[in-house]
Amino acid sequence: MGQVLLEIKNLKKTFNEDLHVLKGIDLCVKEGEVVSIIGPSGSGKSTLLRAATFLETIDGGEIKYLDKVAATTENGVVKYASKHELKEIRNYFGLVFQNFNLFPHFSVIKNITEAPIHTDHVSKDVAYERALKLLSKLGLSEKKDAYPCELSGGQQQRVSIARALAKEPKILFFDEPTSALDPELTGEVLKVIKELAKEHMTMIIVTHEMQFAREVSDRMIFMEHGVVQAEGTPDEIFNSDNARVQEFIGKF
Amino acid sequence: MNFSVMLQLLGNGMLMSISIFLLTLVFSLPLGMVVAFGRMSKNTIIRGIVKFYISVMRGTPLMLQLILVYFGPHFLFGVALSSNYRFIATIIGFSLNYAAYFAEIYRGGIESMPKGQYEAAEVLGFDKFQTFFKIILPQVVKRVLPAMTNETITLVKDTSLASAISMVELFDVASQIAASKSTIMPIMVAGLFYYVFNFIVAFIMEKIEKRLSYYK
Repeated sequence: MGQVLLEIKNLKKTFNEDLHVLKGIDLCVKEGEVVSIIGPSGSGKSTLLRAATFLETIDGGEIKYLDKVAATTENGVVKYASKHELKEIRNYFGLVFQNFNLFPHFSVIKNITEAPIHTDHVSKDVAYERALKLLSKLGLSEKKDAYPCELSGGQQQRVSIARALAKEPKILFFDEPTSALDPELTGEVLKVIKELAKEHMTMIIVTHEMQFAREVSDRMIFMEHGVVQAEGTPDEIFNSDNARVQEFIGKF
Repeated sequence: MNFSVMLQLLGNGMLMSISIFLLTLVFSLPLGMVVAFGRMSKNTIIRGIVKFYISVMRGTPLMLQLILVYFGPHFLFGVALSSNYRFIATIIGFSLNYAAYFAEIYRGGIESMPKGQYEAAEVLGFDKFQTFFKIILPQVVKRVLPAMTNETITLVKDTSLASAISMVELFDVASQIAASKSTIMPIMVAGLFYYVFNFIVAFIMEKIEKRLSYYK
């Protein structure tokens, strides 16, 4: 394992002043690591991911990508990096949403190339070449001119993975990537993520797919009530003597 | 007055009606966007002012607004107005009124956009400007099109209200000829014109809707 890519310390998030969703989370992810986060609904898994990707502001703690501090807390006040720095830090990660959030008015290829061209100022040719490579890797070459509404859920999610990868992120976050899919379609998405794991893509995956998490992860984190209840290798988690972990995993 | 003279007068009226229609669109479509942003502003003062503006525009008759814009400067402030102010007042009155309606349609469209579109754009690194113009606006256009068709059709018919400040547009011409010559014919011609005009408007809007139906 390489350098530390993401370091989260004592992260806190409160909604409506009294709903403590994250109560001091620590998370450290190294290059090449695949970490999955499991836990019951409402445990704060997705909020953690959204905080790490700046979609939610935090109320305490620190978020650091490589040597760049994105947010830190001094004397109880959270300070985010400047707009310019955050833009730079955003390039370190990609996020795959539960509901894909593809741009419906763009074709598949445009969904993938638009961000590199307009936010990273990659040339059009390079962006297209990169996109076509990704599409062929994900088995979607013949869909490059299709619109999202013409694709199945599994295909849409694969396009959204390609869209995130096209920015060449160092870390890829997945927020329940198969929760919006028919059971029949989850397989094709999970397969893609497994292939990325083989290529040592650094990934943080919030998921309810226990077997998949077990197979793909280097490390698993069990969250509940806004705290990390257990953390370890998949074997350690699946053989945990923590009663809550046993109970949760036993349900699957 | 023979038939061809009458037709010529009506024709001039039609041209004026078309001018009012087109110029109102030219000004109120973009102005409506500005108003919509004011209406959604985080600044409570701006939002309050814009909300009041919209409620006045929607809550009072357009005819009354036209009269106010036309006579107001003279009676309220004693401003001497040039002879072509009548036309300018008409365009100002219509544009202010329609901007309020368009703003509410735009706002409805913008607020109906799923949050996920903004979030995806943000994570991909698009700035606010790019997000709005590349991601949000094109989708909003499609969403608001049916409501915009309605409003545009109403505008065609509303141009007749300009007769309230003696604008020589189609309705004004038609009713004057009808009164002086005791004939219903010019009114029938005017009615037919408004109908055909709107038929074309609806046809064009339908074409645009079809063109945007390549995605859901």
